Amino acid sequence: MPQDPTVPEPRARLPRRGLERLDLLLLGVEALDLNGGESMVWMSEQLGFSSLFPNRVELWKRRCTNPLRRTTRRDGLDPQETDALIHILCALADRLYPLLRGLLTSAEPDGVLQQRWDLFRGRLGELIRERMNPRRGGVQLWLDPEAGALQARQLVQALALGAGAGGFERLRASLLDAQP
Amino acid sequence: MKQTLQYNQLSCRLRVEGLPDVSVGQAADVVGIITGWSLEWVGRPVLEGRKEHLLALMQVAFPYARYLISGVHRRFGADPKPVEIGPNPGRGHLLLLRSSQADTPPLQLVLDDAELADLVRVLDQLRLDPRLQLPLELPSPHPLGARELLERRPLVQRLAAPLGGVLALGLAAGLVLLFPEPRPVTPPTASPSTAPQRSS
Repeated sequence: MPQDPTVPEPRARLPRRGLERLDLLLLGVEALDLNGGESMVWMSEQLGFSSLFPNRVELWKRRCTNPLRRTTRRDGLDPQETDALIHILCALADRLYPLLRGLLTSAEPDGVLQQRWDLFRGRLGELIRERMNPRRGGVQLWLDPEAGALQARQLVQALALGAGAGGFERLRASLLDAQP
Repeated sequence: MKQTLQYNQLSCRLRVEGLPDVSVGQAADVVGIITGWSLEWVGRPVLEGRKEHLLALMQVAFPYARYLISGVHRRFGADPKPVEIGPNPGRGHLLLLRSSQADTPPLQLVLDDAELADLVRVLDQLRLDPRLQLPLELPSPHPLGARELLERRPLVQRLAAPLGGVLALGLAAGLVLLFPEPRPVTPPTASPSTAPQRSS
């Protein structure tokens, strides 16, 4: 994937909500791609981040900085690590773009779209139940049938608009948003 | 000499025509001067224009996509800008193109989420294409402040809590006013039998 030359150097650390969203976006990729965990490791090597994430355990540890996880790490992410994870996310979203588009389109029958969303939400829900702390309000919101559907749509839209090299800066800026 | 750059997505195709700027020594296979562009949509009229229109499209489409990622549905490119994009009242996104001719009504295109993503992708591909050697004045994405993020929630929802609080306070104050005022306590009058007797 070509890099965007206009992207400035990383400086800021992600706030708590940014860490949550970054991990949830990566979880969305896993829900779309059954082999998503392996794809992340492979993509990390392809993009030259082997020094930052030498193995899958290190990659996993960085993702565990999400405060919503069952087992969370408090040390946060360096800006370089954050950027590497966003690059991996954008590249994976680029690969999965046809699937993302298939979820977002309105040009297909409602029944087909409903089945796709049910499948995606089912997988995402399983992953959230498996890895996130169900006592957290944010996790309960994701598992709520109505609020969770809205959140899932927003997640897929964010992945589609952040896919590829061009989406990197947009995604990074969104993850650095102030706490509402 | 004339170069054509083309970017395809499932619902649209962007074609940019131009020439190398030989005055600054550009190679023959690059575009330094845009002479025209067209954006073809499946089942919709072809959009065409000059470089200024393409730049105006990019200047509204990128920030709109940026805000959408944060969940903020905000309109970009108000009149008199040639291109405007914002949420469609029904569903999807409304792309509005204003003609420079006074008697021509603006062209409206309603895009769904997938078509918007396609549009952003073709514009991204153009922006990052090394063959396009032309400085583009585009706003760089920035993190949103807490105030901008408040726009995610509808006004009614945002005002519900403070209005509810004021109403509850008013109601409580009204109920308190309904209580009868306590009678003033009269000091007990001293009777001769109970009055302390002074001994001499």
